[in-house]
Amino acid sequence: MPEAKYLLVGSSHAALEALRSIRQFDPDGAMAMLTQDTHPPYSPTILPYVVSGRSRPEAVLLRDRTFFEANACAFVPNARAVGLDAKAKTVKLESGETWRYQTLLIATGAAPAIPPVKGLDGVKFHVLRSLDDAKGLRSAMGGARSAVVLGAGLVGLHAAENMAEAGLSVTVVEMQGHVLPGYFDAKASERIEAAFAGHGVKLLLGRKVVEAAALDGGHSCRVMLDDGKAVEADLLLVATGVRPAVDWLDGSGVAIDRGVLVDEAMRTSVAGVWAAGDVAQAMDFHTGKPALIGIIPTAVEQGRIAGAGMADDPYRKDYPGGLPVNTYRFFGRVALSIGQATATDGVEVSESDENGYRRIVLADNRLVGYASVDQPFDVGVMGELIRRRVDLSQCKDTFIARPADTGRRLMSEQWR
Amino acid sequence: MGAAFDTIAFKASLCDGCGDCMKTCSEVKGGASRLAIVPGAKEGGFELAICRQCGDPKCVQVCPSGALAKDGDSGVIGWDAQKCVDCLLCTAGCAYAGIAVDPQAARVAKCDQCDGDPACVKACPTGALEWRRAGSLYREYGDKEDLFVPGLSGCQGCNSELIMRHAMRKIGRNSVLATPPGCIPGMGSVGYNGKTGTKVPVFHPLLTNTASMLSGIRRYYDRIGRKDIVVMALAGDGGTADCGFHAVSGAAERGEKILYICVDNEGYMNTGMQRSGTTPYGSWTSTTPVGEHLKGKTQDAKNLPLILTAHKCRYVATASTGYMEDLYEKLDRAVEASFEGFSYLHIYSPCPTGWRVPSSKVIEACRMSVDSNFVTLWEYTNTAGLRFTRSPDNPIPVVDYVRTIGKYRHLDAGQLAHIQAKVDEQVALLKLMAADSPSPPAAHRAPGGGEAPAAAGSLSGPLRQEIARN
Amino acid sequence: MSDVKTGKVIVCDGNEAAAWGACLSRPDMVAVYPITPQSSLVEYLAEFIADGRMSADLMDVEGEHSVLSVLHGACLAGARTYSATSAQGLAYMFEPYFRTPGLRLPMVVSLVTRDAVSPTCVWGGQQDAMTVKEVGWIHMYCETQQEILDTIPIAYKVAEHPDVMLPVNVNHDGNYLSYGVARVELPDQQVVDSFLGEKNVNWHACLDPERPMAVDPLTGGSGGVGPATFVRYRKGHCAGMQAALSVIEEAHADWGRRTGRYWSPLIEEYRMDDAEVALVTIGSMTGAAKDAVDEARLDGRKVGIVKIKTFRPFPVQRVAKALSKVRAIGVVDRAVNFGWNSGPVYQEVLAALYHLPVRVPAMSFIGGLAGADITVEHFAGVVDRTLRLAAGEAANGPVWLNEND
Repeated sequence: MPEAKYLLVGSSHAALEALRSIRQFDPDGAMAMLTQDTHPPYSPTILPYVVSGRSRPEAVLLRDRTFFEANACAFVPNARAVGLDAKAKTVKLESGETWRYQTLLIATGAAPAIPPVKGLDGVKFHVLRSLDDAKGLRSAMGGARSAVVLGAGLVGLHAAENMAEAGLSVTVVEMQGHVLPGYFDAKASERIEAAFAGHGVKLLLGRKVVEAAALDGGHSCRVMLDDGKAVEADLLLVATGVRPAVDWLDGSGVAIDRGVLVDEAMRTSVAGVWAAGDVAQAMDFHTGKPALIGIIPTAVEQGRIAGAGMADDPYRKDYPGGLPVNTYRFFGRVALSIGQATATDGVEVSESDENGYRRIVLADNRLVGYASVDQPFDVGVMGELIRRRVDLSQCKDTFIARPADTGRRLMSEQWR
Repeated sequence: MGAAFDTIAFKASLCDGCGDCMKTCSEVKGGASRLAIVPGAKEGGFELAICRQCGDPKCVQVCPSGALAKDGDSGVIGWDAQKCVDCLLCTAGCAYAGIAVDPQAARVAKCDQCDGDPACVKACPTGALEWRRAGSLYREYGDKEDLFVPGLSGCQGCNSELIMRHAMRKIGRNSVLATPPGCIPGMGSVGYNGKTGTKVPVFHPLLTNTASMLSGIRRYYDRIGRKDIVVMALAGDGGTADCGFHAVSGAAERGEKILYICVDNEGYMNTGMQRSGTTPYGSWTSTTPVGEHLKGKTQDAKNLPLILTAHKCRYVATASTGYMEDLYEKLDRAVEASFEGFSYLHIYSPCPTGWRVPSSKVIEACRMSVDSNFVTLWEYTNTAGLRFTRSPDNPIPVVDYVRTIGKYRHLDAGQLAHIQAKVDEQVALLKLMAADSPSPPAAHRAPGGGEAPAAAGSLSGPLRQEIARN
Repeated sequence: MSDVKTGKVIVCDGNEAAAWGACLSRPDMVAVYPITPQSSLVEYLAEFIADGRMSADLMDVEGEHSVLSVLHGACLAGARTYSATSAQGLAYMFEPYFRTPGLRLPMVVSLVTRDAVSPTCVWGGQQDAMTVKEVGWIHMYCETQQEILDTIPIAYKVAEHPDVMLPVNVNHDGNYLSYGVARVELPDQQVVDSFLGEKNVNWHACLDPERPMAVDPLTGGSGGVGPATFVRYRKGHCAGMQAALSVIEEAHADWGRRTGRYWSPLIEEYRMDDAEVALVTIGSMTGAAKDAVDEARLDGRKVGIVKIKTFRPFPVQRVAKALSKVRAIGVVDRAVNFGWNSGPVYQEVLAALYHLPVRVPAMSFIGGLAGADITVEHFAGVVDRTLRLAAGEAANGPVWLNEND
């Protein structure tokens, strides 16, 4: 039975960061990385660019064989985990193979959440989570003239833009009242929506799909909306969000809410098992409660902490809590947000419509959220001001008048 | 030794916000400046946003396209324009706005240190930006063999161990090392009771005869044709300036081909912090105490390296552990010169124990001593004369340095004025000596001087450019 | 003897003889600083080097302290070394001088003995050399110019002997020997070369990157291996001194076989076979003493001389045995032992006499201070007083021979 001191299940940001973190402390403890994917590691975030053709699929791989050799880690693709026996400390693969571990990282990420729409299972639709999905979508775009996208989240909007730019007639259906809900308030979203409209993308907001059906022998489809209208298209993309890939943990004893519950050290409820990345439900920075924040920065941070814990590195730090971050490009423009950018209750908000839109959210003279459209800001700097809970009472007016300079100044002072 | 890299350092106190750095960067890079000077908290003060080339770079870790990577040799975080998909996640990873959006290009831009020759530093007229090569020097020497035993028993924060280990890493095994009585053998360089402290031939000369013993060694090795051995001392200031001075002066006069490194901690620190001829005016020492009648040393220090120039040595230089790249360059030249004649390197090195400086502040004290001209960095050869290796223009007030040192805690205004006057006098003399020497480095302009336009609140051209960048 | 080679004969003073002795011993390095009455010695050396007669590196340094210091360095690097000094120069040299035997450096340094300041003086006397007798150098005192020359190669042979490895002072009296001229035979260079053989001066302690070691780490203290280690060094030093007694004898004998000149190595006994009283002398005064003894013998008085050549290590058994047959002893010094109100050699002789089963009366005579002559007449007085001592007259002293000159 193959065995590893460190067994990493998953191969994206969280697992890669855990690998690095482990190797900083333990240069040669036996390690293996198992992934259901057929490719070397890549980021799901890159997939829209593969779809658009901007990135060649072979150029998006984050690590190669040399890297794994140099880091003494066995990289095992096509290894889909189907079961965890936490008592025996083994992971069972779809192939029937079983791996024994001393420490285990669950970093299986998330899978597309498919809404329970009548008839959808009879329609050929696309999702966008893997490199193969991206290749499939790109190839399907080539033969399509129209597309319908379910969901106006990041994946849906990216794909809609790509398809519109490729000449397809695109319709986006979103349940919520505006695009990118959660990241941007209505005012910000309006600018984004206007851009899509300007590029000929039809946005159907506040609408639900109630039924889907195949047309033309499966070459196209029709979706019925809750207002009774129907949209027909050659191509259907379901981008209604993701949910943590936890199915394989059934019966393992690992506590799961929506994702794998972890503590401040990224430990699960089961000894010897850690979780990080999109699969994990870790503490939210603002609420202090477990939340799903499926973005790269949290995956990286969680992976590092989990790795340090697995290697028993005495310098491991506790997880400070996840902060939502969004950097979004659309039609060459920029929308950014960090923290509680849409909060309205119990906070002090400063909005500006000059040279783009900007929304600064303060609470108790401290920055808690920041969003902008068409007015780039230093997301990392603002993130640090939020995370460090920097008291801005001495410079609040200056900060609101010139947030970039002031933020940079504050962080430059920190450097010394 | 771990990874360490060269870096662009920023000294906020010297920045006058002229914006030349940004202008130059923008020109050289053909786009937005990769660094931004921003108004500081105080009126007329400035701060810097630039890529710090982090050792644990979050921008790299969060990049989904593999477009960012830290180069193992230079430490520079490189950006691959081909791979980058302009997602801007990297900007979320950076706490210092070191990677930011260039609005013209609508892409991120970051500092690449101009392949080790940063244009902004060359453009900076006040010296606020500095290209510090200590990192690559540490790496280079980190790979060389450490010739001392582990666990030398120096005081916490003492720079002598740094000087010893690094000097010998550079010089290597083909050397003979004298460490006369003082802190250096006190740390165990020659060892105890039959056990050595180094891997090179090492000995205690007498406190008084270091240069003479080395003369004899060198002459004999030259006689038998072994001319490639570095014959050297790591000596203290007391033995060099006081009771051993006859030997130093004699060897210098005879042009003995030896390398004499004097580690100056301004007194007899190993024996309990007594006064030496190189103890500065006003210093508390155990023999110049502070009481009702005495307020520290009442005489000025003798300037030993300057005295050595009067011997027309092949090479004389001053150095400080606060400026290691300068020290290393001088060490190189000093070793070279020691095959041609008397080569003297005077390294100023604070004693945390005897000077009452917290061990964590020693390097800072070193730097402030240089920045205030209390210590000047220069070199001299008998053919090219004296030149500053760091401009003495625009020093910080000596009082700023003196305040960081506990042995000066008692000084009154009159004593402080005396010290400032002596520092100014010394610099004036050195400048006279340097004036006749070829090509001194360009003098830095005073920060906030006549041409400096900008201050917090009044945004001038370069700062507008900075705003535009956002 | 068939293998004796007779060399060239010259007429020279003692300083030149010493310079020739050094020249023939082929040191690699000579370090010099002038002082009366040594100055002409180093001038001769410089001249030899300038003329190419001698190939040593000449180190003209800034003082005697550095004279010995550069030689320390050179010796630790592997050089055979030579220098000469006197009085104040020796005093200034004292710090490295003290260190030389502890490092077991087999150096040879001539002391052109001179009385020590103050009162200010620049003339002969042995106060300088006698003052440093406890430092651990070997001290040999010469009587004639020829003995000076011959003793220097012998001193190298002794110093560099692996059982000894100690520095040697070859002493000759300032003024009387340094400037006094005599016939001197120069040994053939090949004779000296084969006598000395290959040098190896730093096999025990060296500063050589090819044999890296710490020379003279901090040693001693009250803990760990400190006390035992320090004792080992000191005891080894004493053992080297004792070993030197036989090595000095062997070296003198070897020199005699090669040159035909057999110098008494430790002590010389002059007309001691049937002597009833003995004078003890040291250095050049012995010539006048011998004349006085010869005259006394003409009068039928049975007087002999024991001349000390090797003063350190002190040849205790030889001195005791030589003096065991006499009934009284007069010891003539050219220096003062202030603590004992006597001459220093006198004190040494008394200590040696302790080894005898009977008590022999002895008296201290001090003369020749600061360049004063000790004449045959002075020695005749010493003989008279010593005979009276043997006859039962009480000892008093010291007798200051030049008190009324």
